[in-house]
Amino acid sequence: MAPKQQGGRVVTQQTRSLLNISVNILGIQLLSTSFGYKMDTLSYLPVQPGVGMEENFLSLDDILLSHERLPIRTECSFPRLGFLEKSSDTKDITEGTKMELPLWLSKGLYEKKRRVLSVELPKIYKEGWRTVFNADPNVVDLHKMGPYYYGLGSQMLHFDSPENPEIAQTLLQTFIGRFRRNMDSSQNAYNEDTSALVERLDCLEKALFTSGQSGLNSFQSWEKGQASQLTASSLVLNYRKRKINDLQP
Amino acid sequence: MDASEVEFLAEKETVTIIPNFSLDKIYLIGGDLGPFNPSLPVDVPVWLALNLKQRQKCRIVPPAWMDVEKLEEIRDLERKEDTFTPVPSPYYMELTKLLLNYASDNIPKADEIRTLVKDIWDTRIAKLRLSADSFISQLEAHAKLDNLTLMEINTIRTFLLDSLNCMYKLRSNLQPGSSKGQFKDF
Repeated sequence: MAPKQQGGRVVTQQTRSLLNISVNILGIQLLSTSFGYKMDTLSYLPVQPGVGMEENFLSLDDILLSHERLPIRTECSFPRLGFLEKSSDTKDITEGTKMELPLWLSKGLYEKKRRVLSVELPKIYKEGWRTVFNADPNVVDLHKMGPYYYGLGSQMLHFDSPENPEIAQTLLQTFIGRFRRNMDSSQNAYNEDTSALVERLDCLEKALFTSGQSGLNSFQSWEKGQASQLTASSLVLNYRKRKINDLQP
Repeated sequence: MDASEVEFLAEKETVTIIPNFSLDKIYLIGGDLGPFNPSLPVDVPVWLALNLKQRQKCRIVPPAWMDVEKLEEIRDLERKEDTFTPVPSPYYMELTKLLLNYASDNIPKADEIRTLVKDIWDTRIAKLRLSADSFISQLEAHAKLDNLTLMEINTIRTFLLDSLNCMYKLRSNLQPGSSKGQFKDF
């Protein structure tokens, strides 16, 4: 059912830009009518930005995050959409089918009142893995598990599940538990290969690692006296004189 | 903020020099300097002192704290205490680097001073990291940065601020009433 990666990303971006336009229209409507409930006309849900550094809808991390697949179970039948489900030959997608949908689609279809589908928790947010995270968050390879562990975890809270408070608590505790190690490695690894240090980090933690490195690097280059040296811009270095013959056909 | 910007701010600190030329008082926006008389000590900003020194026009008198015994005392105190101890100058790191790089012939035991200041710096940075960690793990909301210098704050600033932002977002997930993460009822 989920579209192929390439096409899917385009769809997400289109949905996002459509959403933006509709929000603009809403703004105008609000201005002209001055009353009226804003949410009335919005019949779908924007995929809110993840927990990343940047909060805009062009953030590549957010787009990739909205592509994470979630296991779902359909609660009503989707007539004539059977061609989307490759595993069966039926014409319709019947009620109770289990499949995987990307986050943006499951979030759009999910509604509390009209039950279209129910979303199951991916296994890393379930009880068993939560125990592991609570025991020692440092041993887990979040890149293999995620790589958007925190972002997807926060997004999972949109789907009403009785375990939500525990999930949110585990996310926070995992971040705190891994903080010290991330800070120490990012502030101490000067002039060395960092790929071994970052390979087990979540995307969010990787961004933090880079900002820690930038602080360290700028201090070290100042201390060595490199900060006061003026360097030529890459534009100047790459500039080549053009021959008139190349420009004229 | 860049480390060189912090250095720029540090160059406003005054230092005593002994000029070997004479010049009347000069009037600058930042204040009046001089008059300069040969072998009469006068207070000038670091940027001017370094400029004159590079042109061999003066001798720099090192600040009172830039002394092996005093620095050893500070280092030992810094290692003993759990909190940050007051530093002799808010720009101790920058001034040490500037003065030792350009006027090491005017400062006795320059190498020892360099090592001592680096020791103090390392101890303080380790403490800073420790307190940042306990700040995060105890979910505190504010901290007092007494006795920290600008350069020290500057090295950890981006990392700490970004981490706190992330943690804020993860924490706001926990509050059931927050608008983020909750569906609006249509």
